[in-house]
Amino acid sequence: MSPDILDGSMDIWFGPQHVSAHGWATKLTLVGDYIVECDPNAGYFHRSAEKVLEFKNFRQGPLVLERMCMLEAFLAEYPYVAAVEKIAELEIPERAKVMRTIMMEMSRIHSIQFWWGQFNAELGFFTMALWPWVDREYSLDVFEELTGSRHTVSFSTPGGVKYDFTEKVMTQLNRAIDRFEDRLVKFKDMQLGSPTFRARTENIGLYDVKQGLKWGLSGPPIKACGVPMDLRKDDPDPNLAYDMVDFDVPITENPEHPGQSDAFDRMEQRFAEAETAVSIIKQLIPQIPEGDIVDPKARGKANRLPEGEAYARVEGTRGITSVWLKTEEKGQTAYRAKIRGPCIASYYALKDLVPGSKFADFIVIFGSLDPYPGWWDR
Amino acid sequence: MADTSTMKASTFGRSVINKLPEVTSNLLSDSRIELVVPASKIRDVVQLVDEELSDALPESVFGVDLQNDQYNLIYIFWSWSNRLLVQLRVSLEGENPEIDSTCDIFPGLEWHERETREMFGIEFRNHPDPRLLLLPDELEGAYPLRKRFQSDLSRLDETGINPPKPRPKEGGEQK
Amino acid sequence: MIGGVMLQFDFFAWLAGIPDWILGVLKWIYGIFSYVFHWIFNVFTWIWTTIFIPKNFMFLFRAVIFPGLIFVVMALIWAVWFTRKLWGRIQDRRGPLHMGKYGGLQLFADAIKLIGKETIIPDKAKRWMFRFLPGLLLVIVLLPFAFIPWDTVSAVDGGWAISDLNVSLVLAFAFLTAVPVIALLAGWVSGSKYTLIGGFRAANNQFAAEIPMIISTIGCAFLARSLSIFDISMAQSSLWFAILLPINLATFLVAAIASVGVFPFDAPVADSEIIFGWRTEYTGIYFTLTYFAEFAEQMLYSALIVALFLGGPNGLPFLPGPVNFIIKFLITFFFFVLVSSSFQRLRQDQIVYFCWKYLLPLAVLNVIVIMFAVVYLPGLMLPLLGVG
Repeated sequence: MSPDILDGSMDIWFGPQHVSAHGWATKLTLVGDYIVECDPNAGYFHRSAEKVLEFKNFRQGPLVLERMCMLEAFLAEYPYVAAVEKIAELEIPERAKVMRTIMMEMSRIHSIQFWWGQFNAELGFFTMALWPWVDREYSLDVFEELTGSRHTVSFSTPGGVKYDFTEKVMTQLNRAIDRFEDRLVKFKDMQLGSPTFRARTENIGLYDVKQGLKWGLSGPPIKACGVPMDLRKDDPDPNLAYDMVDFDVPITENPEHPGQSDAFDRMEQRFAEAETAVSIIKQLIPQIPEGDIVDPKARGKANRLPEGEAYARVEGTRGITSVWLKTEEKGQTAYRAKIRGPCIASYYALKDLVPGSKFADFIVIFGSLDPYPGWWDR
Repeated sequence: MADTSTMKASTFGRSVINKLPEVTSNLLSDSRIELVVPASKIRDVVQLVDEELSDALPESVFGVDLQNDQYNLIYIFWSWSNRLLVQLRVSLEGENPEIDSTCDIFPGLEWHERETREMFGIEFRNHPDPRLLLLPDELEGAYPLRKRFQSDLSRLDETGINPPKPRPKEGGEQK
Repeated sequence: MIGGVMLQFDFFAWLAGIPDWILGVLKWIYGIFSYVFHWIFNVFTWIWTTIFIPKNFMFLFRAVIFPGLIFVVMALIWAVWFTRKLWGRIQDRRGPLHMGKYGGLQLFADAIKLIGKETIIPDKAKRWMFRFLPGLLLVIVLLPFAFIPWDTVSAVDGGWAISDLNVSLVLAFAFLTAVPVIALLAGWVSGSKYTLIGGFRAANNQFAAEIPMIISTIGCAFLARSLSIFDISMAQSSLWFAILLPINLATFLVAAIASVGVFPFDAPVADSEIIFGWRTEYTGIYFTLTYFAEFAEQMLYSALIVALFLGGPNGLPFLPGPVNFIIKFLITFFFFVLVSSSFQRLRQDQIVYFCWKYLLPLAVLNVIVIMFAVVYLPGLMLPLLGVG
């Protein structure tokens, strides 16, 4: 933009007290109804988790991690556990592997249900916002029955999992999955077929794969471009049970703009993700083996770790979630733990993605990328 | 985009070392490689990563404080079509070590570099936006993730909570 | 002492006259007071006797209690409750539940809470206008209720319809046009960027919706050959205009929703974009007033739809006019809420595009079709309209 156009501009702080800005603030420069500059600001949610992890032992560590993103708590705590298990070379019981996988996919479903409602609220459709949130209650019931907590679950622990599946958990799990599967089919048509929804989301926030990868995007924002980039297939974790199931990486290809994705594609992609997660859970439930849920020697082994470095990753709901862990010889705590949240990239991407779009579309672009402040502020 | 020819980690390591003999490689596993890069060559190596791996995803840049003014800087790239994880390790030394910024090659690294600067005091030359990312302004220059950083308990009295017990000697660094 | 003049001051005679003088002064003062008292007494007597002439009493009753102010405010309170309850049911939840039977007293609780809240006026706001505008808005929205034909008989003849003005349709729209002006002013004087954007969006909304809305009513005015809302609803005693002007009914409903700025067209108060639009800075009682004004506007448009398209008070002959009207009003309001709870919010430019590209031609089309029908098929149309 040339300087003389910028003369009639207006700066607007979108957040931190804005109703849609939950823990972030973005400075927008508007000319008329168009955004010419976007300056995302981080740090409103910063809890210095990486420093905290240097003072917590290896069984307390996952509890810090799950507070980074409580919507996908099972997924968020896992990379730290996996990194500890890599350094300590722990053996995981088969039953724990399957249980972890099921609950991680359940967490993905929960996160998508929440995002789905929130995105509709951001688009201004409160009816469709509350319908998925009803289903979300059923997912939360499973978490509550299993771990005693709806959000801060602390399920995975080095060497296995903490809580076993009981009869009631299985009943609730099946009920939640069946209900969601049933409602997903109906709501998907209702949502994607709505002309007003299409009008708000088509060709909004368009980028191509190359650009998205340069920003560091991963997960659904990239898969929506038609690229099957998924750690569940590409870099399978030996402690998870994705090799026991048969699934395809969900992708969305839009013939109108191949290799690119807009807000509509990203919505469609989330539906595909949810369908895949449902199918993975449905395949895994009959395959749960009997046995221990935690390696009995793991507790002792995880008290003091040998010196080592590990980089563990998991395909989160929002993209690649990873922890880089360095330990000292006989260290009780991490020497350095780096949390890499997926959303730091999707929030950063707004800087280049938003300028040129209308002010009303800012929140649509933001919502379609689904950034969660905990992941960039940590 | 979907390149079927997968590049093994060792092949990639050799191709980088052929062009830049200063770099040494360290095979972590079949699909993970670590390249130890001198600080002066970081831009060349990142450029090579960009050229060799067309779908390189810049995962993160972060520092590790090895104490006594020794730092490691670690870059992580992931290429999904090659199933290849590249980890670059740069050793830095000094009170405020400097290194070239690479965020013009991978814009996604811009915020990671900003964070590393405010947390470890590692300066990135030619960084377009060297503001603080996460910290409040009064912590400029405090570098909280350095091991020698002590959390400021001077205003704890105002809160009325009891001071915490001293931490165990083994856990973390308490000097 | 004969033939002489008493030059000497007769002190005792003067002394004897003082009581008379005092009495005279007192009488004079009493006279003044008694006159004023009688005047006031007479005024009261006059008012008293005037009111209790049955005709006059009923007029006052209409203006203040039944189709007038208190009824409208009670209906408003009911409408808020109904909207929240219906939204709750549509959204798979229960809506207000605890205060009163079925949460019926929830609004009173909310109003007391909101009135008890601190009134915060931003430093940059123009204080006087900031305080004045919400009240003005509510008054302006409530005024057109005087033109709603609640009954088949006007007040002059002893019915329940308050006012029968021969240009009341124009006057109602004149009042309604002032609403976005107040929204724009409120956004301006609040001294915030979000309120300013919201104010301009509200003005833009009205700018987009008003022309299709007014053109939708032209058909009714043609067919009834009157600009009075009362006459228009009376002209539908044999046939509702909804049957002759179905497209106009639809366009009027959509344009009315757009004009109020509720859900599919709520860009002026889009909470995820501009917090609460032009109402962002209003707190406490001022917010309550603007909140009520929005519901009053929805009710007003529902009542206008009933009067213009659905026959007004005409309906089941064994029911009194107001009951007929209110039944139809409830159904219309239900549709109003239903439509506004089942669509995604449109962007501001899409609202203008939609209103002008689709609503306006459709509204004009229906008017033209009906005009041709009246001119070329008089044998079919005129008996339908009850004309000669």
